[in-house]
Amino acid sequence: MSRVPNKVTLSIALKIINAMIRFAKDNEMLPGSYAVVDEGGHVIAFERRDGAPAATADIAIDKAWTAVTMKASGRILEVITRGQGWRLNVKHKGRLTIIPGAIPIIAHGRIIGGVGHSGGSAEDDLKIAQAGWAAIFREDDFESEVEERLSMARKLSKEIIKYVTDKSLRPVSVAIVDEWGEPLLLYRMDRAPFGTLELARDKAWTASAFRSFSENALVFYGEKVSTTNWNERVLPVPGGVALEYNKEFVGGIGIAGNEPEKDKEIIVEVIKKLDFQAIT
Amino acid sequence: MEEYDVTIIGAGIAGTSIARELSKYKINAIVIDKNNDIALEMTSTNMALVCQGGDSLTFRPGTLHAELNIKSIPLWPKLTEELGVPFKRIGGLGLIRNKSDYMKFLKMYTRAFRSSLRRDAPYYISENEFKPLQFLDRKSLKDLEPYISSKVLGALYDPNLSVTDPIKLAKALAENARANGIEFLLGNEIKSIEKNKDYFIVNTSKNSIKTKFVINATGINVDKIAEMVKARDFTYVPVKGILTDFDEETTELFSHQAFYLPRLGDPHVRAVVPIISGGLRVGIYLDFVMRTDKSLPSQGLRHNLNVIGDIIPGYPFRKHIKRTFFGIMPLTNAETGWHDFIVDIPNYVPRWINVVLGPAGVSSAPMLGKKVVDLLMMSGVHLEPKPNFNPSTKRGVGNE
Repeated sequence: MSRVPNKVTLSIALKIINAMIRFAKDNEMLPGSYAVVDEGGHVIAFERRDGAPAATADIAIDKAWTAVTMKASGRILEVITRGQGWRLNVKHKGRLTIIPGAIPIIAHGRIIGGVGHSGGSAEDDLKIAQAGWAAIFREDDFESEVEERLSMARKLSKEIIKYVTDKSLRPVSVAIVDEWGEPLLLYRMDRAPFGTLELARDKAWTASAFRSFSENALVFYGEKVSTTNWNERVLPVPGGVALEYNKEFVGGIGIAGNEPEKDKEIIVEVIKKLDFQAIT
Repeated sequence: MEEYDVTIIGAGIAGTSIARELSKYKINAIVIDKNNDIALEMTSTNMALVCQGGDSLTFRPGTLHAELNIKSIPLWPKLTEELGVPFKRIGGLGLIRNKSDYMKFLKMYTRAFRSSLRRDAPYYISENEFKPLQFLDRKSLKDLEPYISSKVLGALYDPNLSVTDPIKLAKALAENARANGIEFLLGNEIKSIEKNKDYFIVNTSKNSIKTKFVINATGINVDKIAEMVKARDFTYVPVKGILTDFDEETTELFSHQAFYLPRLGDPHVRAVVPIISGGLRVGIYLDFVMRTDKSLPSQGLRHNLNVIGDIIPGYPFRKHIKRTFFGIMPLTNAETGWHDFIVDIPNYVPRWINVVLGPAGVSSAPMLGKKVVDLLMMSGVHLEPKPNFNPSTKRGVGNE
């Protein structure tokens, strides 16, 4: 007999996401973004399905963050703030997202993480997020088939994690973004520090935005790029790669966790196996 | 392959009360259960309360939870009389320890008045079917319950609250349904269900059945069965409740159901019920668990001893423990605590009804059957009343 987990690991986070996707598909709900965070509110796993609006990504993540850091479901916060929760948005750089679809993961009488969904109506978001939380109480696994782009991203990230594990490298965070730099998938391996996930996302964004290795953002476009603060995501550090598939630019990938050069090497080695090309 | 109009999956209190209601009509229906007998799961492990008079009036108005429970109140005496099932009005006491408790009970009292006791209320119950609630001071409470703790300052008294034996009731419902023409197929676990345009094929471990309608009343496994045909549009979390029964010698200590309001940060139920077969039932220690979890943590008994010691201090309850046991029930909206029943047809799967009850499920049984019959009629089933329906005859169900 399996027991209720007392910590959200990457594999549990993926089970939660699969359960949410399965629920959404069974009930013919719109594709959206699915986020699972740990008890500090930091992303462990995030996926955005094909066709989901890019803006839903950060809404899903911020919903999960809100549920954890406010220790309450979005539905409760909505009621206790009497529908005026949006006023609190001036706090925490606008991250507080007091809308249904934000659920704390409660197990063993405490909050061990959070689930966020964005992409449908408030009612649908709530139902999907509930389906995610309830998955940790299920023994069976939820296999969910996803659309082409997300399934490619999943394959790529699985290969990266496998490579890192096989070579006994330090655990990493993986970020895969689309051609507009918006996240499709964010995974943080167990024991990878939570800061690595934001680094990975920034590297992926930088690679995608400049269609080159992330460190080249400085080389090609001048040293001031990193210091002008025009965009807080610019991170000209090795470990971000812009990807081509069938000679077409498809997005970027970033990883963080090891020395930057090592991160870059991991990506370059792995994408070869899957017929992606790096844009140099 | 056998063909039926309606297949009810699950022979607990939900499945049997639906079957009994359907047996009043000319319809070809069958009840399937994986166990070899009736009511072996959730129905047998609960507080055994029914007709939760004042309790149900305080459920949030507008929910199915409130509707089914309140509308069931007037139906209980007749139903149990027809079936010859024990039913006893014991009355309930909401215990007041301080002003905050009093204010909360006052709020509930007002809510009950608005939802059911006023003549224009949405679930109006007439006065001869429902005795009014009243607040008791310390002295009148002592007259009712001489051994009650001196910490209790008063109570909200509900004379309507009753107890029954849910297992006997489910069996009687099933036996009456069978006598009136509903078939039972026990010891058949559902393996798969195929969805076709006009019918379902239900494959069990031993049989295959073709059916036009399916009523999924499988208790804690409703979600798994519903997923077989993509009919799960709800979510619940399994919650385990640990209860303790004390032996018959404790019967004379307490004659009413009594409970404390939950405290902030303490989700466990603190209640005592004199059960109909004698002795006190105390609980409930709650925990979210895997549905197959069979463990019985010691915190459960410790909590239950604390509860009874709080309500009736100074009695050696530890020496009178009969058994400690658990039940697992589905809790919807568990993250907010706003539990509600689900008795509905999913958006994309017609001819299918999901039934999720959970806490206060037994209490809602009489109305549940009627609600499902309504849903079937809305889905276009032609239900013609049977002229020779006999509300009291019985015919045995259950595998040898």
